[in-house]
Amino acid sequence: MKKLFSLLCLVVAASVATAQQLPDVKVENAQGKIVSVRSIANGKPMIISYWSIACKPCIQELNAINDALAEWREEADLEVVAVSTDDARLKATAKAIATSRGWEFICLFDENQELKRAMNVSLTPQSFVVDGEGNIIFSHSGYTPGSEQLLFDKIVELKKGAKKKK
Amino acid sequence: MKRIVILCAALCAVVSLSAQKVVGKGQVSGSFESSSVYYTPDKTVERPDDRFGSNNYLKVDYANGRFSAGVQLNAFLPALVGYENLADGYKFYLASKYVQWKDRNFEILVGDIFDQFGSGLVFRSYEDRQLGVNNSVEGVRAAYNFGRYVSVRGLYGRPRLNTDYSKTWVRGADLVVSLADIMDAPAVNFTLEGSYVNRYQNLNQAPEWMQEVDPSTIDPETGEGLNYLQMEGISPNLNMYSGRVNFGWQGLTVSGEYVHKSKDFFSTGATKGWAAIAELGYNYKTFSVMATFRALDHMATPINQFMNDSRYAIANSINYIPALTRQYTYMLANLNPYQVIATGEMGGQVDLCYSYRSKENRYRYWNFHANFSTFYSLKPFESKKRSLFWRDVNVDVERQWNKKWKSLILYSYQNNMEHEAHVFVGDVTHKFTRKMSLRFELQYLLSGDERSEWTASHSEGDWVAGLVEFNIAPQWSIYAQDMYNIGMTKRHYYNGGFSYTHNRTRVQLSYGRNRAGYICSGGVCRYSPAYTGVNLMLTSSF
Repeated sequence: MKKLFSLLCLVVAASVATAQQLPDVKVENAQGKIVSVRSIANGKPMIISYWSIACKPCIQELNAINDALAEWREEADLEVVAVSTDDARLKATAKAIATSRGWEFICLFDENQELKRAMNVSLTPQSFVVDGEGNIIFSHSGYTPGSEQLLFDKIVELKKGAKKKK
Repeated sequence: MKRIVILCAALCAVVSLSAQKVVGKGQVSGSFESSSVYYTPDKTVERPDDRFGSNNYLKVDYANGRFSAGVQLNAFLPALVGYENLADGYKFYLASKYVQWKDRNFEILVGDIFDQFGSGLVFRSYEDRQLGVNNSVEGVRAAYNFGRYVSVRGLYGRPRLNTDYSKTWVRGADLVVSLADIMDAPAVNFTLEGSYVNRYQNLNQAPEWMQEVDPSTIDPETGEGLNYLQMEGISPNLNMYSGRVNFGWQGLTVSGEYVHKSKDFFSTGATKGWAAIAELGYNYKTFSVMATFRALDHMATPINQFMNDSRYAIANSINYIPALTRQYTYMLANLNPYQVIATGEMGGQVDLCYSYRSKENRYRYWNFHANFSTFYSLKPFESKKRSLFWRDVNVDVERQWNKKWKSLILYSYQNNMEHEAHVFVGDVTHKFTRKMSLRFELQYLLSGDERSEWTASHSEGDWVAGLVEFNIAPQWSIYAQDMYNIGMTKRHYYNGGFSYTHNRTRVQLSYGRNRAGYICSGGVCRYSPAYTGVNLMLTSSF
């Protein structure tokens, strides 16, 4: 077993870095319909942020992103996807909170945490920056007031990179 | 020591990576999570026999087009106190593995299955590391979608029970029919759904006393008699059926579910079970209301119905019955959480949310949230009235004053069978600059019942708590908190520490005294004994 464990680590360590695609997982949207996560990639870069009712910094982060979103969108067009990992206990409350806070986001509800598991999120808050083709280019764990700017900086870098390619 | 060295080497290899990896044409991704505690001496808290505990999880996935596979390895070196269900001493094992093929409309998975039917009342397999729960099913799962109209899935396998697999078998099927899509009404969500779950457990796993023939039932002519299992009508097969309906149009959502369960073994005898749940929601602009009602009777459904060791019971469940009450992020408001009375309860909760925002300034707004939850016994007791199990009336108001100041006040009145409590919370955040901020909390729990101060050991009278947190975004956070019992024990439960985050990797080092109590996640609670120690937590993904 020790050998297997070490081998796995070596396989991981020996591989070459590149961007990962969004996993092919289906979750519930705000209308209660089941949608593929890949289908939400619409050519715009995205911030995907995981949250739950019991995660105070997650909600702080989403509020902060929502506050800054209008200013950000003047500089770069982007979507924000808020993924609630609340289970049957708190999903209804999560829907009520997500609607009432006026979040200008795409809200998804990952009730049995299939998407969370597929994206290897072990601690919330965790946020991802995804390009328009659905490639994950950056991720950040935890939230401290102000760290939302780091996510937007990556979006701006993406925009600059896209301009250079043109 | 060897194991710790191996663990550290592996950890370094994992942490040194910062992005997903390519192997051949596929991609490797994964995560590592580690929580270790060195238990220090404390005059008021018993020190565990093992002075060190460490729970570690490494998950690695490989994806190549429509194919994916993965494993998860768990190492308990040994397990932290409170996680005795995972390991008595050292344990290192393969916690899950899978290979999966996903097409546009078809998917099949062989390995450990995490899935949920409906709200989980008949079936939910999931992992919650904080609770030490992993009840995944080792077997086969297949799903097929007939366009947008009908989706069907089925699974068969043996459930994981803590670190091993149970000698029971679970099979189930779930069907969803989208009437809205059949009627070509894209603005509406209207589905009819149904599930069937079967658990098979050979009755030779029952304790000997259940299998012994009761002498009073022996027929003198034939010499044959009945044992307890036969007298109670306990079958190797347990069946559960669920019917559901979901409707959504514009701001309105309505859903309902009814569950029937065949006879299952309980300490009071074999009993049939049922559950009904209804949900009604409405939202308009920044106002929303959501109400949930649920009644259930004998719905706890263990993986192994004959396991009677309570230490291992937390993950011994096929279905999921959460407490439909508010879960707080504040210490004192979560001091005495409600736990489901699965043998019979009825009640529900209502949430009201409203946000008032300044049109001129996005950094000025009010958020209001009120919640009410209450649960009663399903049947009247001796008093001929239903007994109150739980009631919580709470309201919180959050105010973003400007870019620099934010405040929140919360009040909660909680009443369970043994005590009443009024909880008051104040929470203020101040941003000095774009990256530097300070947050502090003040909390007070006023015990509403004089008797509880001396008779209910879990309440212990009045409490006061405080927290100070200083952050330098996006990497550093330092905090100190204390929870002090001013009622009965006069004891401090202090904690302080810092965390450092670099992209996907987060390290937290803290020291403190932890109170014995229930740690709840979702609707499940794990009892954690008191301890004092240094805690190192590390999470990373790649």
